[in-house]
Amino acid sequence: MGYQTPYAPTRTELSNCIQCGLCLPHCPTFRLTGKETDSPRGRLTAMSAVLDGIIEIDDTFEETLSFCLGCRACEPVCPSMVPYGRTLEGARAEIAAQRGGVARRFRAWITVSWLGSRAMMNSITFATALVQRCGLARVAPSRFRTGLGGLRRIRWKTPSLQGKRFEPEGAPVATVGFLVGCIMGPWFGEVHQASISLLVRAGYRVVVPPGQTCCGALAAHDGAADGASRMASHNVKAFGDVDYVVADAAGCSAHLKDYAHWVPPDEMGNWQVKDINELIAEAIEGGRLPRSTRRRGGAALQHPCHLRNAQRITDQPRVILEAAGYDPSDIDPMCCGAAGFYSILRPETSAHLGKNKVKEIRQTESTVVASANPGCEMQLRSHLGEGYQVLHPVELYAQALEEDSETTA
Amino acid sequence: MTAALTEKKPGLRDELISLLGTDQVMESALERHLYAKDSGVYTGNPTLVVMIHNAEEVAAVVKAARRHDVPVVARGAGTGLSAGAVPEVGGVVLVTTRMNSIEHIDAENRTAWVGPGVINLDLSNVTIPYGLHFAPDPSSQSACTVGGNIACNSGGPHCLSEGSTVNHVLALEVVTDEGAIVTVGGPAPDPIGLDLRGILVGSEGTLGIVTRALVKLTPNAPDVRTLAVAFPTIEDAAATVSGIIAAGLIPAALEMMDQLMMQVIENWLHAGLPIHAGALLLAEVTGVTEAVDAEAQIISRIAEEHNALSVQVAVSSEERAVLWKSRKSAFGAVAQAAPDYYLHDTVVPRTSLVEAMRQVYEIGKRYEITMMNVFHAGDGNLHPLMAFDASVPGELDKVKAAADELVQICVEQGGVLSGEHGIGIEKRHLMPLLFSDVDLDAQARVKEVFDAEGVFNPGKILPEGSRCFDFGRPVPEGVWV
Repeated sequence: MGYQTPYAPTRTELSNCIQCGLCLPHCPTFRLTGKETDSPRGRLTAMSAVLDGIIEIDDTFEETLSFCLGCRACEPVCPSMVPYGRTLEGARAEIAAQRGGVARRFRAWITVSWLGSRAMMNSITFATALVQRCGLARVAPSRFRTGLGGLRRIRWKTPSLQGKRFEPEGAPVATVGFLVGCIMGPWFGEVHQASISLLVRAGYRVVVPPGQTCCGALAAHDGAADGASRMASHNVKAFGDVDYVVADAAGCSAHLKDYAHWVPPDEMGNWQVKDINELIAEAIEGGRLPRSTRRRGGAALQHPCHLRNAQRITDQPRVILEAAGYDPSDIDPMCCGAAGFYSILRPETSAHLGKNKVKEIRQTESTVVASANPGCEMQLRSHLGEGYQVLHPVELYAQALEEDSETTA
Repeated sequence: MTAALTEKKPGLRDELISLLGTDQVMESALERHLYAKDSGVYTGNPTLVVMIHNAEEVAAVVKAARRHDVPVVARGAGTGLSAGAVPEVGGVVLVTTRMNSIEHIDAENRTAWVGPGVINLDLSNVTIPYGLHFAPDPSSQSACTVGGNIACNSGGPHCLSEGSTVNHVLALEVVTDEGAIVTVGGPAPDPIGLDLRGILVGSEGTLGIVTRALVKLTPNAPDVRTLAVAFPTIEDAAATVSGIIAAGLIPAALEMMDQLMMQVIENWLHAGLPIHAGALLLAEVTGVTEAVDAEAQIISRIAEEHNALSVQVAVSSEERAVLWKSRKSAFGAVAQAAPDYYLHDTVVPRTSLVEAMRQVYEIGKRYEITMMNVFHAGDGNLHPLMAFDASVPGELDKVKAAADELVQICVEQGGVLSGEHGIGIEKRHLMPLLFSDVDLDAQARVKEVFDAEGVFNPGKILPEGSRCFDFGRPVPEGVWV
């Protein structure tokens, strides 16, 4: 049967893997089971075997690829520079196309139709706020409990930022198109506020183009490729003519940087994609944003996989935390187990990784934890429990600057 | 063992499942495909793959396999390059990755008991608090297992001063062909009686299966200097290596790479390698600060006498880490040049380095194969690396023919077949280049003593007919011998 869709992993991508095995120890699932089937090398060999007609897309193939967290920890350590994340999305798109299934179609409906619709997100937000307030989270099925337990306090309704425009004092350094995303707006509105206020203070004009939608990362990771492709095209049109497109969730910025795989080249915009950490750290280092002189103690710095592995961003969050007056200590880069839908689909593996991560955070003895991705944040908060403050680095920085200005006033 | 195992063995399958559980026995087409090969170019066909956790399970698997007349092939991380873990004639692939416990770290006596599935670098990382490390450091050390190191008697850049794996193993717990669990060697450095431990290290899983090892741990050096010296030509770099050894120094490591190799590594790592130079020599000296500074100076002087273009001395651990990362990721980076690679492993006397390298490039030219070189210059261990595209008909055969010639020229120079990768399938047909019939017969007799029925990794190391009275080692059709 081989592959049938345009999303499939290509021979060029796959033949880059020479099976040296240097990825194995960096893979969380290989570390768990020790099986070749659960390693990046094994998964790539499996994808090649389908391409070569040696095996069919069957249950074992599907299990091999759906067990993968998509953390892409194999990518930075690969001397052959295999685009693993891309091939994984392609293979999952093939599995979805060839095998279908009610559960998968249901998930595609969520990732595309729910996350892509503001009205739907508003309803979900209302329902989630209700669940939170009635204490229903405690009686929810266990696979949902981690997610619900890790949420911030959800507002009944958060007005959308779409269509808004924020001008800096003086001539703008550049124009930033800001991605509001799906859950970031209604569930993590404080991160957006911090990001936008810092961008403006750093001299950027921030526009929030109307008509934008969810970036499509979750759809792409889950094999809902047609939907992901539509969402990408939609956003590219919405952002139009800006200098940068910026997202403040690592998963979103990583996916935006991969848009070239999802949008035909003639439709692609001329902008550059940046994660918020990049622009804010750059502004701090360029003297456009201040460094707090107050010392605030230690902060555990968790490196989200889609920041560290997919975008190779590791220094910038540290720069931001230091400017905020914290003394950051790095947490081991192994995936925290949140991984989008993973915590719901495979609660045991997810919880195992989450608990390992929490152990490391406790060892730092910091109660402030910085994480630049909403999924990781929820996972960490849920497993850490009371007594910890888990926030985005830019939030910690914005809070610090505010505290400083209050003290001065 | 008789015929190649093409048919499934339902009886054995059921027995293994009842022994180990369904989840530990893999039998699907995909799972078997993924365990068909290691990092090299040879492919086998496993009948079944089992994950094991302890010596008792290994013993039970060996007994069951033997009852069903099926061979057993042990495998760690599958980073080998000589097909030592490739189930050429089928059989049960026994995966040791879960036997990864590190026990009884004895900081005073500098030893630890480790499972065969422990990753080499993990062991060194775990022993950092004691100021110790496991000395064998093959380039794949971040992924390869101690069990695989023992099987292949692995080396690595630092075996120049520290010796290879056999110098770092004190005792082995081994499952025999009859399924008995025995321990050979002990904490004493020189065991009494025949040194069976010495025979087992490097036997590539053909004599027994190691289930635990008492390894030596080496104190971390108080100070270290790593020099990166650029030369206009490989010859200048090789002459420097001879000069350093002749001056009476034994550096911890002396590594060399050529221009093409530097270019592909630089493309990935951006380590600032001198890509316009003809060769790069990495020299590392360890010891107390005064000594390493003095030795670094001597090395710089010798290098300058041999036309060195630049000498960079890495002092910080970060600078040093980047240099070693560039060296140790070299072979993986080759994919940028071509989709497949054949990483060779041969040894020549240090004094023949210049002539051997000349011939290596000559072979590459004659066969029209991209030849890159990155190797342990200090002990004359060459690693010519051929980049090719196996999907082009005839390419692989051409590369294999060139590989044979490479071994031949090295043996002619007074060298040997393999420095550290092992013989496996890859080089067994070349064994007669180095060993007489009498030698091979003696080795085959040792194999017979340990494994008369050929249950362990059949067909590896010794070419067919090694034993004057050959005991019918199966070689399937189409296998390249």
